[in-house]
Amino acid sequence: MITIKHEGCIFCVGCSSVCPVSAIEAVGTRMEHYPEKCIDCGLCVKVCPANVITLHKGVKSAAQLETRGTGHAPKEAGE
Amino acid sequence: MNYDHDVIVIGGGPAGSTFSRYCAGAGMDVLIVDKRKEIGVPVRCGEGLGAREVVSQGLELPKKCISAEIVGAKVVAPNGKEIVWKDKQTTGWVLERKFFDKWLCELAVDKGAKVHTYTRATELIREDGKIAGVKLSHGGRDSYEVRAPLVVSAEGMESFMARAAGFKTVHSLYDVDTCYQYEMKPYDHQNLIELYFGNALAPRGYVWIFPKSDRKANVGIGIGGNLMNAKKNGGIPGADPKVLLDKFISTHPQLKDSSTLIDFGGVISVGAPLDEFVKDNFMVIGTAAKQVDPIHGGGIALAMETSVMAADTVIEAFRKKDFSRAGLMPYEKKWKDTLGKKMAKRLLLRKVMEKFSDDDLDYIFNAITERDLNSVMDGNFAGPVAKVVAGRPQLLKVLGALVS
Repeated sequence: MITIKHEGCIFCVGCSSVCPVSAIEAVGTRMEHYPEKCIDCGLCVKVCPANVITLHKGVKSAAQLETRGTGHAPKEAGE
Repeated sequence: MNYDHDVIVIGGGPAGSTFSRYCAGAGMDVLIVDKRKEIGVPVRCGEGLGAREVVSQGLELPKKCISAEIVGAKVVAPNGKEIVWKDKQTTGWVLERKFFDKWLCELAVDKGAKVHTYTRATELIREDGKIAGVKLSHGGRDSYEVRAPLVVSAEGMESFMARAAGFKTVHSLYDVDTCYQYEMKPYDHQNLIELYFGNALAPRGYVWIFPKSDRKANVGIGIGGNLMNAKKNGGIPGADPKVLLDKFISTHPQLKDSSTLIDFGGVISVGAPLDEFVKDNFMVIGTAAKQVDPIHGGGIALAMETSVMAADTVIEAFRKKDFSRAGLMPYEKKWKDTLGKKMAKRLLLRKVMEKFSDDDLDYIFNAITERDLNSVMDGNFAGPVAKVVAGRPQLLKVLGALVS
């Protein structure tokens, strides 16, 4: 999945306009990410003019990202 | 079938508002929904607009919408050589977009269109397999359904409902420019649009300075989306619009000491328009249909011109009660026969231009005149191409595409 650092986002909708699966959308005053739709293609990361999107390959949820961040993530099959 | 409106327009930008103004003026019941809290905000654009389309629609811009008048353009080669170019094509305004968009939208309201802000279209409603309206959400709180025999996507770059209707509106990295821009002050401009070219300065793009009121200017950069932060596939490592723009500013004699007043950014479509603009009970207009000039990325004038064509067709379809694909087709056909042909030439020019090295650019800027630039922008490439190729025959391979 990807994470968006909202501080630094200039709300230009570049990420959502290149996302092939509509997994990012401008809602209200911030970019919302729908991890269940995300296919980890990384196009949004490349196009972002503010450089605020990070791709975490193989991570499926925010909770999993957190455990991985602390170094306690269980090893997954195929890794 | 019971409908709430004759047409639902998604997006209250220049395309949606202009289209709605004409349709409401012809007696149609029009609903515009815009997901932003305020029409025209945030601004994501250089704010330049040529005078022609505004004049031809009989509009007079209120003072608050105009930040500065443009009297011409200055293009600067990688080696610093400048060509100043003044003519009808380069006259216009740098707008205050937030006021301009709101004013255009209010004109539609004056004609009877209804507008709902902070209202996001979340889903298309289909009945008996046909599009019959949209599900809306106001401020993320109230969800409701609104029905109409025609839904128009004027959604801009995101164009989610157009995607839902089956249009291929997703942008490829190659066909977008990714941009960063500051509003800066002070900058003593000469009411010229300034464009700086160079592969190191702005790979497959340029740096622009657009004059604004009170010694201000929009200073921005656009670079090829496929080159961004790319470590492979021919990309340029570290190509980052903000980094490159900051670098340009730090070496610019005047701007290096200026302040930034606004940070904004955007992604501009610089590719081909959609293959089709209409389906049964659905239509796409403006940037949502990728109707954007591939050379300068400008979309406002095209959106306004397109909207007139679309509205003419829709008003006729309304009279005949025929919102089928066939009934909406005159708009698509007319666009392709007129603006489409013009934009195809611009796209070709963009694709040729991105092959030039800095040395080629320096040579070309030296060889051509203001008049040549005019014919190029009019789509008459033969004269200028002959001139360049005469002095640098090796460019024929690249430039040949423009005259074959």
